[in-house]
Amino acid sequence: MSGTEVTTTVHSEWMQYAPLIILLPMMGFAVILFLGRVFNGHPFWKKNLKEGGLIALLVMAASFILSLLLISEFLKGYSGLDEVFEQIAWVNTGIWNGGSTTEPVSFGFGIYVDHITVMLLFVASFLCLLINVFSIGYMNTDPINDNRNHRFYAEFVLFCAGMLGMVLADSFLWLFIFWEIMGLCSYLLIGFYYERPSAASAAKKAFLTTRIGDVFLMIGLVMLWDLFGSLDYAVVFDTHNIEIVAENSAGTLQWALGLMFIGAVGKSAQFPLHVWLPDAMEGPTPVSALIHAATMVNAGLYLVARMFPFFGAESLHGDLDDLAFIIAAVGGITAVMAAAIAFVQMDLKKVLAYSTMSQLAYIFTGLGCALYLANTLDWHNDSDAHYIVVVAFGAALFHLFNHAMAKGMLFMASGSVIHEVHHAHHHLHHGEDHADDDFDAQSMENMGGLASKMPITATAMLVGSASIMGLPFIGGFWSKEGIIANAWRAAQDDPRFLFPAMCVLLGAAMTGFYMSRMWLKTFAGKPNNEVAAHVGPTNTWIKTPLFILTFVTLSSILLAGMGFTHWAADTEYSFLSEKNIIEGILYEMEHAFANHDAFFFILTYVAIFLGAVVGPGLAMALYGGKLADGEETKPWMRPVIRLSAWVNKRFHFDNTAFRESSLATALENRLYIDEYYDKAMVNIVAGFSNKVAEVDTEVIDGTIKAIESGSQSLSTVVRSMTTGSARDYILMVAVGTLTISLLIWGVA
Amino acid sequence: MIDPALVSGLSALMFVIGLGGAFTRKNAIIVLMCIELMLNAANMQFAAAAVHHGDTTGWVYTLFAIAIAASEVAIGLAIFLAVYGQHETISLDDVNVLKN
Repeated sequence: MSGTEVTTTVHSEWMQYAPLIILLPMMGFAVILFLGRVFNGHPFWKKNLKEGGLIALLVMAASFILSLLLISEFLKGYSGLDEVFEQIAWVNTGIWNGGSTTEPVSFGFGIYVDHITVMLLFVASFLCLLINVFSIGYMNTDPINDNRNHRFYAEFVLFCAGMLGMVLADSFLWLFIFWEIMGLCSYLLIGFYYERPSAASAAKKAFLTTRIGDVFLMIGLVMLWDLFGSLDYAVVFDTHNIEIVAENSAGTLQWALGLMFIGAVGKSAQFPLHVWLPDAMEGPTPVSALIHAATMVNAGLYLVARMFPFFGAESLHGDLDDLAFIIAAVGGITAVMAAAIAFVQMDLKKVLAYSTMSQLAYIFTGLGCALYLANTLDWHNDSDAHYIVVVAFGAALFHLFNHAMAKGMLFMASGSVIHEVHHAHHHLHHGEDHADDDFDAQSMENMGGLASKMPITATAMLVGSASIMGLPFIGGFWSKEGIIANAWRAAQDDPRFLFPAMCVLLGAAMTGFYMSRMWLKTFAGKPNNEVAAHVGPTNTWIKTPLFILTFVTLSSILLAGMGFTHWAADTEYSFLSEKNIIEGILYEMEHAFANHDAFFFILTYVAIFLGAVVGPGLAMALYGGKLADGEETKPWMRPVIRLSAWVNKRFHFDNTAFRESSLATALENRLYIDEYYDKAMVNIVAGFSNKVAEVDTEVIDGTIKAIESGSQSLSTVVRSMTTGSARDYILMVAVGTLTISLLIWGVA
Repeated sequence: MIDPALVSGLSALMFVIGLGGAFTRKNAIIVLMCIELMLNAANMQFAAAAVHHGDTTGWVYTLFAIAIAASEVAIGLAIFLAVYGQHETISLDDVNVLKN
């Protein structure tokens, strides 16, 4: 990518096993589905194999270990090399010949490993494994899932296969194929409780909305194929090929990439294709954690990050800046909009869903700015510019990492809360008929004061929220500051970028508010009702992943110190070699808190003030409170709760005016976007359908009816000339044939 | 070997018998049998011609004709069954609804 272009193929020992990372879960899918069919309800299958959960765990663990081996090989082989690339032609037809290349293009499946792959591969395989552990604790203890968990696990591992395949694939075509496998599994998993109409329609909505994006993605890919004659990364990212395309059709390339970006918008639930994500919370909680927080929604980000070589190419300098701005602006809009809607949500999982949208939007803004900087700065020759580009791109990808870890954890913790609230409710109302029960175990109205009941879950939620909010030193702080700083850096070059830059800064304060609100309403204060007072601790399968992820989120500072903030895009800064970890941490600290540039120094503290003081302060003033008398929680949560109680007492204000305002109502109705879509559907699609139906009845049916009545009247005429006896007809046929034969004979 | 001319004559005789039967009988199954007779007369004519000209094309035609005749019989009998279900008769004189 920089300086002299060297693409070196490193043949590593584990590379050849890389396809197994995808194939093992795929085989797991078939095995679990088959065994589940055969042994469904069998006590051994149910108790000892957890209805397939342990088989899924086995394949996911194997995938994870293979991924780790591959990653470590990559890191070892990584010393200034550009990329590790190896194509294994599984199917080599030689007939797929694109327009602009003369030699036959092999249609093979290959593995492509670079920095972005490694980052996503770790995130995907690690979280899939943890969520699998969580699922065993969550799905198998709920009697509603009895005898159908094998379906869940089978779809789950197929989903993981899709995600891992998308990350490892070596061409946009395979990326698209695995992308669609994920789309299918997402549909199946959201509709897991298909007997509920809301779940069934949510599944349909998610499938159709993402499909809109996918159509554009496909058009974009076809255009890319047309430009390059191939979709292999090796061909499309080749500097020489990009030069050729840049000379003749840079504008077309921008369109192709823009259409692909629409696909990413659909998959990552950004405005205006975001409507499916909140509804997708109808699926079981592990699914929400897996698909709608940690993995699938990252697919869109991955696709945009993959476009980096185009934006970074010297030959396309300044040609793609409009697209980069669009990416950043879509991110900016979504970041603020989703955060605003999250203000008023009562459903625990919905708050997290909107938070996911908002954070993904941050990453899109970060990527958009990084791509803009890469496209407009002369970063190939200027080392300062190079540093700026690398840090901007690295910050966005690092936020992806931090967000995936924190959000996966938050969803699992919320699942644990919902699970226990549900159990407490059942326990309290034991023996009653639950058929017409309208108790909502997901509503924060039914929680409160749970910090003492579920200390581990509360801690995980606290750390996860802090990471999302970007409280100093924890998790997302390191990356979020980077994204905000880079948005402003882009704004210094181009005033258009002031819009996304303002959005992310505003979003920081909003994130602080809604995440604190969620935590305080769930865990602080007094129990809101009898059910919340009877919640008990959760089981080990659920606790383990929470524990691990809390640790990972807290140790984000170590990753930052190891150079994660630069590493993902940098080809010269080598992993762990230039600086040792202590130096790295000190460097990050200095960079974050004592920036030499006065503008960024002030910006950092403004962002921290907004995200860590204004937002949480408001939430505490509204929702803070002491636990019930006699309840004690872990020492590290006590100060938070005490602080919230103090702020609440001191600064509490009445917010009914806001709650009853039309803005709040609009937010509760998701800004009426769903309604607009419905209206548009009714007016445009249904109107069009009616017109088409008219054409069908009037023109097509009319013609056919005319033919029918015409032949009927004709047959009445003919009928009067016949006798009705079969023998007469035979005679006529015979005589007729004889006559014709004689005539032909005569002529001949 | 039999003279192809004799076979040709036998074929003509069979054809006339079939034709006459088809004209005069009113039982649908008998009429069908007569039609089969005519078809087979044609087959014999083909075979005779093939021998006469020393050309295998005629044999091949015969095979095709037999295969098609078999399926035609199946369809014909199925139609008669359906007709019997509707009219409780397969007499050709009574099946003349199209006229009325």
